[in-house]
Amino acid sequence: MNKVLEVKNLTKKYDHFTAVDDISFFVNEGEAVGFLGPNGAGKTTTIQILLGITSSTAGTIKFFGKDFNKHKKECLQRINFASAFNTLQGRITVWENLLVFAHLYKVKNPKKKIMEFINYFEGEALLKQRYWDLSAGQKTKINLIKSLINDPEIILMDEPTASLDPDVVDKTLSFIEELKKSRKITLLYTSHNMDEITRVCDKIIFLDHGKIVAQDSPLNLTKQIKTSTLKLTFDGKKEEMEKYLKSQKLKYEFLNEYTVKIAIEEKLIPSVIFGISKTALWITDIEVQKPTLEDFFLHIVRGKNYVNSKN
Amino acid sequence: MSIQRIKAILLQELYITRHSLEVIMDLFYFSIVNIIVFGFVSIYLAGSNNPLAAHYILLGMILWEIIRVTQYSISVGSLWNIWSRNLSNMFVAPLDLKEYMAAEMLAGAVKTIIILVLIGTISHFIFNFNILNLGMLNLFLFFINLTVFAWSVGIIILGIIFRYGTRIQALAWGIIFLFQPLTAVFFPVRILPDFMQKIAYALPPTFIFEAARANIVNPSTNWHYIFISLAQNVFYFIIAIWFFNIMFNKSKETGQFARNEG
Repeated sequence: MNKVLEVKNLTKKYDHFTAVDDISFFVNEGEAVGFLGPNGAGKTTTIQILLGITSSTAGTIKFFGKDFNKHKKECLQRINFASAFNTLQGRITVWENLLVFAHLYKVKNPKKKIMEFINYFEGEALLKQRYWDLSAGQKTKINLIKSLINDPEIILMDEPTASLDPDVVDKTLSFIEELKKSRKITLLYTSHNMDEITRVCDKIIFLDHGKIVAQDSPLNLTKQIKTSTLKLTFDGKKEEMEKYLKSQKLKYEFLNEYTVKIAIEEKLIPSVIFGISKTALWITDIEVQKPTLEDFFLHIVRGKNYVNSKN
Repeated sequence: MSIQRIKAILLQELYITRHSLEVIMDLFYFSIVNIIVFGFVSIYLAGSNNPLAAHYILLGMILWEIIRVTQYSISVGSLWNIWSRNLSNMFVAPLDLKEYMAAEMLAGAVKTIIILVLIGTISHFIFNFNILNLGMLNLFLFFINLTVFAWSVGIIILGIIFRYGTRIQALAWGIIFLFQPLTAVFFPVRILPDFMQKIAYALPPTFIFEAARANIVNPSTNWHYIFISLAQNVFYFIIAIWFFNIMFNKSKETGQFARNEG
């Protein structure tokens, strides 16, 4: 597979603070790679360096096998960018904005190109509206159209769905999925939203304090969390349940007098249930929650003492 | 350099100007109001002991607008994109600084020509002062020199804004007026105190305003002053580009360029 992007030993230091700490990774053609990490992990700084709007302290970046610093214009011609934090020029219309970007990317027959995307995404009604008059969802749609205007081979997306309502997020993600399928575009995608990353990305790079702490497929990452969550609803005394769980040295948390959440390895679940059934307690409901990407995220952020706290 | 990318920036400038009441106010409205106020002042002064001063005022005002409008266009042109959080979008396109600056300078010059024609016409028909009487060659040379000076100031201010962010954006409107007394826009340089005269003669517009005032009574070109002004302008323009590059690179190094919008 061709490597669209290859990053080696990328570092960004601000005085005594290291925002990006010697990271190396690559993105293959047609792959969707997610950058995940807590606030301040270095995701956005990395994207900004990859786009050339922030300079790196050390390291090399290659797009399409070419050194980004030496062939910047050539690389940028084949890349594009979409972010909820960078909008288009608010005072002018959607059509005017897209025309400006079509010229910036030297698109041949720009009007035809814009109409092709506008028709595809059913955006005709927006063309004459000023960009700042659009709703958040409409702006996202236009940002994404802008990010396609030069038929890019890779799009860098920095939290493209931030501050959108769930319905618009879903539509936007469907649109991105459709893009992946129909145009085989390579994506580098940052987000805080685990479901979004799981839905869109084939591979995830976990950043924390500027370092890559894990990179793998979403499935393999979640497999690294050995403990599942067993949620039991029972009939009986809370003290009795507590006594049993303590005897088994299990981590647990009572949600109320009759519901307990237990962090446990999946293979031990049958024996625990069997053990409880031998006491005076009566189990009325059993729910097993397998680890998710969010658990992996929290595991990284909070350390190994994290217990799945959902529900 | 790509003509198409320069065209893109010019198109954006045109669209912003067309849609923004603020730009129309800052450029056209203030220029027209200024020429009307200074026109009436000149009529008043024409009846006094020094009728030549009346022409100095009006001439100074018209030529000053070349500096103000050009500098405003360059510095504020980029602020529109920073305020809209669009500057990063433009610089992640294959747009380089040379293309961007060339387009901004061209846009500034075009706006200035339009305003110059407008206020020149008002001055001629309402206040009976025809700027063309200076001579077409003189006017052309004045325009070039004042425009290049305004480009230099605009580029330096833009560099400072890129480097330190929008918290110092007021410079884009305000700092140019520092040069109004220093370059003796409305009065002969000899009026200034000695130390200020030394500063004045280090600034290219001073020679242009002096030459222009002399042209009111004698339209022959003062090549000596024109060349001094041109030489100084070349020097300041090179300094401005050098300074802007340092500020731009520093801005990318500190992350300020990306933070400007967020």
